Formats: sequence, C-alpha cells, structure tokens
Amino acid sequence: MSAFAEGLNALLDPTVAVCLLVGLLIGTLVGMFPGVTGSMAVALAAGFTLTLEPVQGLAVLLTIYVGANYGDRIPAILVNTPGTPAAIATTLDGYPLAKQGKGGLALVSSAMVTTGGILLSVVVFIFAARPVASIALEFGPAEMFALVVFGLTVMISISSRSLLKGLLAGIAGLAIATIGRDPITGDERFVFGLNDLNSGLPFIAVIIGLFGIAELFDQLLTHHPGTAQIVSSLGRWWPTRAEYKQMARPFALSSVLGTVVGAVPAAGGDIAGLIGWDRAKRMSKHPEKFGKGSLEGLTAADTASSATLGGSLTTTMALGVPGDSVMAVMLGSMLIWGLQPGPSMFVQSPELVASIAGIMIIATVLSLGISLVRSQGMVKILDLPRHYIWVGILLFCIVGTYTTSNNMYTVWVMLLSGVVGVIMKRTGFPPGPVVLGLLLGPLAESNLRRALLIDGPASLVTQPIAASLLLLAAFSLAMPLIRRARAARRDGAPPQPIEVDRT
Amino acid sequence: MNRTPRIAATAALAASALTLAACSSGGDAGADSGAFPEEDITLIVQAAAGGGSDLSSRALATELEEILGVSIVVENRPGASGSTAMQYVADQEPDGYTIGFVPVEIAMLGHQNFDVDPANYDFLGQIMLAPGVISVPTDSPHETLDDLVTAAQSEPLSVANSGAGSIWEAAALGLADSSGAQLTSVPFDGGAEAVTAVIGGQVDAAVGGTGETSAAYADGQLRPLAVFHDERHPALEDVPTAAEAGYDLEFGGWGGIYAPLDLPNEVRATLESAIEEAATSESFVSTIENTGAIAVYKNADEFTEFVNAEYERFGGLLGDS
Repeated sequence: MSAFAEGLNALLDPTVAVCLLVGLLIGTLVGMFPGVTGSMAVALAAGFTLTLEPVQGLAVLLTIYVGANYGDRIPAILVNTPGTPAAIATTLDGYPLAKQGKGGLALVSSAMVTTGGILLSVVVFIFAARPVASIALEFGPAEMFALVVFGLTVMISISSRSLLKGLLAGIAGLAIATIGRDPITGDERFVFGLNDLNSGLPFIAVIIGLFGIAELFDQLLTHHPGTAQIVSSLGRWWPTRAEYKQMARPFALSSVLGTVVGAVPAAGGDIAGLIGWDRAKRMSKHPEKFGKGSLEGLTAADTASSATLGGSLTTTMALGVPGDSVMAVMLGSMLIWGLQPGPSMFVQSPELVASIAGIMIIATVLSLGISLVRSQGMVKILDLPRHYIWVGILLFCIVGTYTTSNNMYTVWVMLLSGVVGVIMKRTGFPPGPVVLGLLLGPLAESNLRRALLIDGPASLVTQPIAASLLLLAAFSLAMPLIRRARAARRDGAPPQPIEVDRT
Repeated sequence: MNRTPRIAATAALAASALTLAACSSGGDAGADSGAFPEEDITLIVQAAAGGGSDLSSRALATELEEILGVSIVVENRPGASGSTAMQYVADQEPDGYTIGFVPVEIAMLGHQNFDVDPANYDFLGQIMLAPGVISVPTDSPHETLDDLVTAAQSEPLSVANSGAGSIWEAAALGLADSSGAQLTSVPFDGGAEAVTAVIGGQVDAAVGGTGETSAAYADGQLRPLAVFHDERHPALEDVPTAAEAGYDLEFGGWGGIYAPLDLPNEVRATLESAIEEAATSESFVSTIENTGAIAVYKNADEFTEFVNAEYERFGGLLGDS
C-alpha cells in the first residue's frame, strides 16, 4: 500500500497540477474541434512533454486524452458533428435531443455518464489490469474479425427507419472502404491513378462531411424559415429522478462492454459507442425511441465510448501493447522517458501505476466540473444569428480536416461527402451505416484474410472466442426478423416485407 | 496543424523557451550576412505525428534550430505509404527551405507502382536506423533462426509484419528467398500489431523493429532469434545477428534527410554540416536510442550511395510489379 501512497504523493507536486490544467485545456479544445482528434493532440504534445519528468508528462498527455473525450460530445450534440470518431454514436440520439430543445439535458447527461464510464473502467485498470489484459491478448485476427462482424450487425439498428435503405447505405460504406491499397497484397484497388487514393478515403473527413457538413448544407438549402430547424434553446439541464432511473441500465451494460472493447488492441471508442448503443436498443423497453432523442441511447453510446479509456489503458500498461491510437503515441513517449510498460511495470514500479490511475481520476473529475460550467456558456453562442453559427462551423470543419493531413485533398473529400450526405438525407438514406461500413470494413477484411493466411477457414470455427462472437452476430441478425415474423403471426396478418419504410 | 502546436507550445514552457532562445540568436546571424538560412525551414514528415519517423524528425529539428538559428517547422503530410510527402518534396523549390525526413520506403515504393524515384532528390545525410528483428512466441519449438528456417523448408510458417509492401515484409521475403523457406507473410497494421500477434501466439514468427521488439523482450513476452544488422543491438545483447545465425542478411528501417534535387552548393553545404552536427549530438543520440533505434550517421555522399544500392536491391527483391 505504501507504493500506492507514494504514487499518489507524486501528484501533489504543484508542477503536476499545472500540467493537469494545461492538458485539460488542450484536451477540451481539441475535442470540440471537429477533425482534430485526441491522438493527434497527444502526438503533438508528446513532442513538448519529452523534456518533462515522466509523471508531469503523463499528467499532460493523459489529461488531453480524457479532456478530448468530453469536448467531442459538444459538437456531436449541438451540430450533429462528432468532434472525434469516438462521438459518432453520440450524434444518433444527442442531436435529436438537442433539436427537441433538450440540448442542456443531453450535454449534462452525456458529461455525467462519460465520467461514470471512465471512472469505472479506471477501477478495472487498478484492480484487474493483468487478468483483463491477458484476455485481450487472446484477440488475434480470427477473434478481431468476429468482433467486427458483431459490430457490423449494428447496421440493422441504425437503419431502423428503412431496413432496405440502411443496408444499402451500409453496403455502400463497405464498398468505398475497399478503395486504396489491398491490405495483404498491397495491390491498388479503385485508385484510378490518383496518388492520394492509395491510402483510401480519409475516414475523419468522410464522417465530418456526412454528418456535420451535410446538416449544414441541408439547413442552407432550406429556405422556408418555418422548416429550418436549428438548436436555439437548450432547455433544462438536470435529469429528473425518472430519467436517472432510465439511464441506469444502459449505463451498467455499456460500462462493462466499453471496458472490454477498449482492452482489445486496435478497437476504440468509435466501435464501442456504436456497439453500446445497439445493445442498449435491443435490451430497452422503448427501442422505438432510439435515434429520435432517447436518453437511454445517449447514455449507452457515451458510457461505452468513454469506458474504453480505462480498457485501453489496461492493455497498454499491463502488456506494453497499445490499446488504441492515443495509447500507441503514449507508449512511444514512455519508452523515451525510460519507462517500460508491460507485465513487469506492475511489479517493479507499482507507484507509477498508482500515479497513472490518480491522474486519470483527477482528470476525469476536473473534466466533469469544466463540462458542467462550460455547458451553460454554450447558450450564449447559440444566441448568435444562425448564419454566423453555420459559417463558424464550416470554417472549423475545414481547418480541422485540413490539419489531419496538411493536404487540401482531405478538405475536398469532406465537402464532397457533405454533398453526398445532403442527397442521402433528402432521399431517406441514413449516414450511420455508411460510416459503420467505412470504419469496420477494412478491419473485417484485413483480419479475415490474416486469419485465413495463418490457419485457414478452420480458425473461425475452432477458436472459442471467435466462434461465440460469430454465433452472437448471427443471433443478432436473426432475432429482429424472427420477432417481426412472430408479431405478424400474432396479429393474424401476413409477415411484413422487410423493406417497410416507416419514414 | 498550426493551432494545436501553438497551444501545446504555450503549454510546455520549457520547450518553448528553448525554441525562442534559438530563434532570437539566429535572427541576428542571418540578418547581417544575408546567408542561408534567413527564414524558417519546413521539415516534411511522411508519417502522422507520434510515430518513429515523426519522433526522429522532431528530435533532429530541435538540434537543427540551435545550429542554424532559425525555426524548423515540422509538417506531417501522411498518406499513400509516404509517397504523398515524397512527391510533395520533389515538387518544392530547391532553395533549402523545404527539406524532409526520408524513410527506407523511398527505395521501395518505386518498385510497387508508386511514382517515387530516388533520382529526384538531394540526399543530405542518414540520421537513424532501426534494424529488423525476427522473433517467435516464448513457447515456440524454434530456438534458433536455423530451427525456424529448417522447419519452414518442410511446411509453411506464418510470419507477421508491419504491412503489405513494408520493409519488414521485405525482410521476411528476403529470408525466404535466400533460404528456400516457405514463409507466409501476414501483413498487420503497423509493427506494434505484428509484435502483439507473436506475443499472443497467433503467428509462428514476426519481423518487427528493434524498438517494439526490445520492449517486449525485456518483459519476457517473446523470443528474438536474430537481428538483421551487422552488429548486435545494445538492448538485445544475447540475440545473434542474422550473419552469426548463418544468414547474411541486413534489413533496417533507416531514415535520413533529403531535399528537392539541385540545391545551390552553399545551401547544400550548410545543411549537410548542420545535419551532421545535429545527428551526432549527444541529446539527439540519446533520444533515438531510447526509442530502441540506433543513431547511425552517414554523410551526404555515403547516404546517396546507400540509398541507390538499397533501391537496386529492393528492385530485385520486390520486382517491378
């Protein structure tokens, strides 16, 4: 226990407090800035923190990591633009809530469940890092493929309005994901001699385009003042007792799910948020409200994506294997400081583990405080005339996207995706499945092909984790269909065709 | 890219103070003589912030700022295996104000249907090298590189690497080529993922850099069989070189500094000597060594010759597909 005290004691140093504040400021800002992700901010800050002591440096980097996870929810809720990919699932219910004039409630609830998600996952890091990490190590290509296929079944849920249109959008996402070099042979696919296409479509530019820019274009094109919907008031802030009760179940489920997904190397908050949202919808008593401003949906998405922080911290520190892209950067910094994350760190320097956990907890609590105070200030921004707000958002999106590559090509992809997004919106195709396809398609393909290269098709069936995840995925696909057929039989009506359009 | 570093700069007081000091001292020197450099130099990096190329570039930039007396702005232009940045550098004015970090891929991409040719650049010096290491899981039956190769001569074994067309895939290919072993290349998304696969026992072996491998080795998570370099690596003292293990092969992720072709002679000379001083400075060497790589310096002539030799070698190995 003395090591624990020693580790926490190291945090009492006033310079650490300064580092925490700096990290918090940077983290919140970059989170809000669409396009600038946590990993980019941590990578750039890492260049400066190398001259600091390890604990001070970790205080800056880990706090950016945490802070970005709060900041990115704000544009997701208010303007339908995920600040970082981890907030994609936040837009599903966050933006509808804001449109209903419940933006304040959405912001506060989101900040609270994010806090809960991070804290619970850090508790797992403190007490169960090594067992959790060794499970994560079991995730080879076959298991990753199965997890990703399971993630792809989320498509059914996000396409609730029209299954056919949703699936078509999903397939389009999977199709454009094949642009670029083949992950195994390195051959060009659909590159058409354009060098930039060799690395595929830039994911961040596409999501900002499909969500934020499409929304913006749509508003600009809507001339009737009556029909233009922009979030103009945030309503009340605090959830009622009944709403807290509603949030409890998705919170519990998603915090466990998020921690596990976070612990799996290369799976992060974006995937966890979507899976969390989907699971909560399937278990909810009011699945029909999901996607239309469900507090349960928002809770599930934000809890799951934030709980990945503790999960990936666990894998990174207990195995020395990066749990996500931010942690990959962090790992590099730690090596330069002469720290060696891995199994021996827990034995040789438990005080460092305590310091890390301490930083995470302090950063989380401070971020919550800032979020609650800052949210109230958001009202003032929304009081500005609409055209200023939209121009501001457009500028932010362009600058943010440009910084991802210092290349105008990414900005063009974003704007083009915005145009495609408007057309999809006006014809009733949801953008969520496209993003899901683009996000998971490459992971599914590369891991399947790796698994086949290593062991042949057998590994997908003989590996217990992979096989059970695939079964679960099949079950998730079949259940809605079975339920639909049963409901139809009970009503004495013929089974409804799948492509029922309920818009 | 502009906004975040500025915030970060204000944040890291120590770092920014250093930069400021360097800037002001240089301002005087440049203004009087009118000699190169008079303004900030941009250093293009072909990879995203945070990776090995980025770290090496930023460490070198810090030294160069002090030596040249101007700010070195590190600009990441990731994409298309690094070719986006390489084409960008080739297209810039050869005035010395745009230089770049050049990775081993410059000798490989041209053979993989990318529009990249080493003949379009002035190479100013090599600054680092991360040798490749081949490792197996701790419970693997293969104790030496010879065991592994012998086993792979009768049945195919899977070897993870950092990606399709990457230097570590080329290393496995080179080993298979010279020994007749059947090594199935399993490209992952980066060296860390490949090493993770060997730690988790999902593949028979993996080729990775000394950085990611030595960290896992220190924790006893894998068994390195050989280092693809002409001498042993300080963090892997017990691991033989490939030549010692019976296979005379060298593969490394090297990096240096390049510029658009035809720099003016004085500019070229100034940059070359600044890079030599920076790349051999104590703080640069220790930063590079902490990442698990080696601080290898080659001057412009040696480096140019080396790049051309590598270009030719990979031409044979990868074929012009």
